[in-house]
Amino acid sequence: MNFVDGTPRATRSPSLARLGLLALLGVALVSALMPAFADDAAQASSPADVTLTIYSGQHESLGEALAAAFEAETGIKVAVRSSKDANLANQILEEGARSQADVFITEEPGQLAALDEKGLFAPVDQATLAQVDQRLNPDSGDWVAYAARSRVIFYNPSLISEDELPTSILDLTDPAWKGKFAYAPSGAFVSTVTYLITSIGEEQTRDWLQGIKANGVNLLKNGAVRDAVEAGQIAFGLSNHYYWYLLAQKQGGPDKLASKVHFMGDGDAGALLLASGAAVLKTSTHQAEAQRFLAWLTDPQGGQQIIATTTPQYPLAPGVESTMGLKPLSELSPPDVDQGSLGGVDEARDLIIQTGII
Amino acid sequence: MSTELEAGAEHRRRPRGAKPPATLVVPAVLVALLALTPVGYLLFRGGMSFPRLLHELSSPSTGTLISHTLLLAVGVTLACIVLGVALAVLVVRTDLPAKRFWTVLFALPLGIPAFVTSYTWVAAGYEFAPRSTFIYGLRGAIIVLSLALYPYVYLPVMAALRGLDPAQEEAARSMGVRPFSAFFRVTLSQLRTAIAGGSLIIALHMLAEFGALELLRYQTLTTAIVQRVTVLSAPEAARALSVVLAVGALLFLAADAFLRGRSTPTRMGGGVARSAVPWRLGRTKAVWLGACVLLTIFALGVPLYSMVTGLTRLVLDGGAGFDWTRLGSAALDTAQYAVATALVASVVAIPVSLLAVRYPGWLATLTERSTWIAHSLPGVVVSLALVYLSVRWLTPFYQTSALLVAGYVILFLPIAVGAQQVGIAHASPQFDKVSRSLGIGGLATFFRVTLPLALPGVAAGAVLVLLNVGKELTMTLLLHPTGTRTLATALWATTDGEVLDFSAAAPYAVALVVITAIPAFLLIRQTLQPSRGGGRTR
Repeated sequence: MNFVDGTPRATRSPSLARLGLLALLGVALVSALMPAFADDAAQASSPADVTLTIYSGQHESLGEALAAAFEAETGIKVAVRSSKDANLANQILEEGARSQADVFITEEPGQLAALDEKGLFAPVDQATLAQVDQRLNPDSGDWVAYAARSRVIFYNPSLISEDELPTSILDLTDPAWKGKFAYAPSGAFVSTVTYLITSIGEEQTRDWLQGIKANGVNLLKNGAVRDAVEAGQIAFGLSNHYYWYLLAQKQGGPDKLASKVHFMGDGDAGALLLASGAAVLKTSTHQAEAQRFLAWLTDPQGGQQIIATTTPQYPLAPGVESTMGLKPLSELSPPDVDQGSLGGVDEARDLIIQTGII
Repeated sequence: MSTELEAGAEHRRRPRGAKPPATLVVPAVLVALLALTPVGYLLFRGGMSFPRLLHELSSPSTGTLISHTLLLAVGVTLACIVLGVALAVLVVRTDLPAKRFWTVLFALPLGIPAFVTSYTWVAAGYEFAPRSTFIYGLRGAIIVLSLALYPYVYLPVMAALRGLDPAQEEAARSMGVRPFSAFFRVTLSQLRTAIAGGSLIIALHMLAEFGALELLRYQTLTTAIVQRVTVLSAPEAARALSVVLAVGALLFLAADAFLRGRSTPTRMGGGVARSAVPWRLGRTKAVWLGACVLLTIFALGVPLYSMVTGLTRLVLDGGAGFDWTRLGSAALDTAQYAVATALVASVVAIPVSLLAVRYPGWLATLTERSTWIAHSLPGVVVSLALVYLSVRWLTPFYQTSALLVAGYVILFLPIAVGAQQVGIAHASPQFDKVSRSLGIGGLATFFRVTLPLALPGVAAGAVLVLLNVGKELTMTLLLHPTGTRTLATALWATTDGEVLDFSAAAPYAVALVVITAIPAFLLIRQTLQPSRGGGRTR
């Protein structure tokens, strides 16, 4: 017995035994929980049981639809991880050689071009590359374009008429435009900045960004730009055609909307056509299946049908037309650019941060 | 001598040299280290140096982001304090009609996550006043978020008010102090702890909030961090802002410690506190009732309206293209994650809480505050840290549910610790001493004596963790295993360019609210149980 604070206490022996007991309990707890979670990590290895892992920067529903259709046609199981392009690219870089991704499909060309420059992709089969509009495939041949989106202006006719709209987005630095337009610093915005850096140089792009920040309203998301213009909160906004046609489809037709879409044309930066691309990772252990997915994705009867019928993105296989009432691809006059050159995401990013937009 | 005084004076009477046992210290320190891993990643991942940090922070937007974040945190916290205290006083100290009804009603916004509330407000805004930008920006964010978060102040203040002995206030008035003055100087200062506790939660929440602010179009440090990672793929720049955020959180923690003060209210002598004489509202009763109705309409009515009408529209449309099985699997996944996290967090928190209550000192404070630091960081920072660590050193865990649960535990540990402390404080050390004097060892005493007595607090902690996991969005977005989704991420997916008319989101929102409302309801009920006369056990 000893008396510590005035009350009798039984002397205790060293508590290593008790520590051990606690540790055992802890291990038991963890291993009891493990089986419930272990199945996520296991990847089947027998050929009959191949699961293709796709990292998809597309919206979740489209990624799932593509996976389901591919699985139905080929029997190859697909697991899709949906997130933003930049997020997934980040993860692929972090994962390095241990990456679980077999295929990387994106919404924008930027991250693909950036990873391509780092040499992470396996060359795409020639037959696959030949299935789509050649303008949008990168010169390197390490990824294939399967869909496209165009930068546009949404405008509300009750607040501004079509001929009052700027003829070039480079005009928007003029103080006359202050408070009149909205923008969202999304992936396509970053691609626009990358393109501007390659075409007009870094200093001029910095000035342009400062003008945008001073004059425009940052609404953070493309959907918010579309909805704000539609509701009449702002006169016009810079965004991608995709969002407007999505709303039009939901409301029952373009004429049901208060806002309108304006394609800038004239090879202006505001008319940029951006490729959504797909690549096979060199570290993938399912090269054949991955290439097969890319071939199916660009097949006029395969993935292109899903693109054409379920989403307002432009399908790229010749002869496949979208059912969403899009302005035909042939009528657009985007600037001429190698999609593979839009990989300068780092410089664009630095500029965007330095000018204080994000 | 009442046990309350015993417990309150315990820390002053603790003799020097009585060290906490190793069985307690080792797990507590391990837990604190686990909680500090994200902070460690922030500072020490290769490539982060002080000049680089300064360079990243010299962007013109940094100052704006900092001021935006501060304005939001201070504004929402102050608004919540005013609302929470006012409502608590209304239901406890006045003769408001139907008090029991209002008591529960005021607490209900606790069951709806902040980003869901903001989503419903945006949807309602488009429906009723499309051209208005009233709910956007700082003003809108303060209004919408304080309506969503005031229960964090309201509940503890109400519980504290109920337990207060009005004798002190009456004594003051008998000495000639005017009623309002007596209230402010005597009662309110006793509510300091409750107010400070709730305010800290709200302030830290504002530092970490992402979804709601993105919807309400208000840029803060956290939205910028998430955007720099997900849109710009600039983790370095994101980390620089995270450091600022962590510093801000530390400042809030320091302010909280300052506000709490050192004295703890104690009551000398036995007996039971008399319930206070309610203030008569008189002619202003109708005005106050009207105010209560208005508040309920805004705090509860708007979210419920959007959810119900959205759901109705969807059902009337014949469930147009809505995937109900996906809703079911998302609900199941959410529930599984929530329960798993609650269990693990409760177990892991016990060493820290025990240490903090039974052996207060520098070690206990250090371990407790470590858990708070991790909690104050936005989910995205913790997620980045976990991805990095798991890819480099814990590969089997990468992209598994176990990792996500670990992230949740790091994030919500202090919530369990805080609630457990209250429970453990109820388990008077007297009983432990009796138990040990009968020859039962330390660990056995814990399981047979302390834990059963502390169970309400431990259970409350588990319930709170459950509530928070169900609501969590940002970390889940970044860490969830391929193919799994929670209700929160599924709901968030509907904001991504899809149409903002809420009918696609409504089923997820409703399911999310159902899941988070249950623990919220239990928590409210527990808080509303009659006060136990302070420290007295059954």
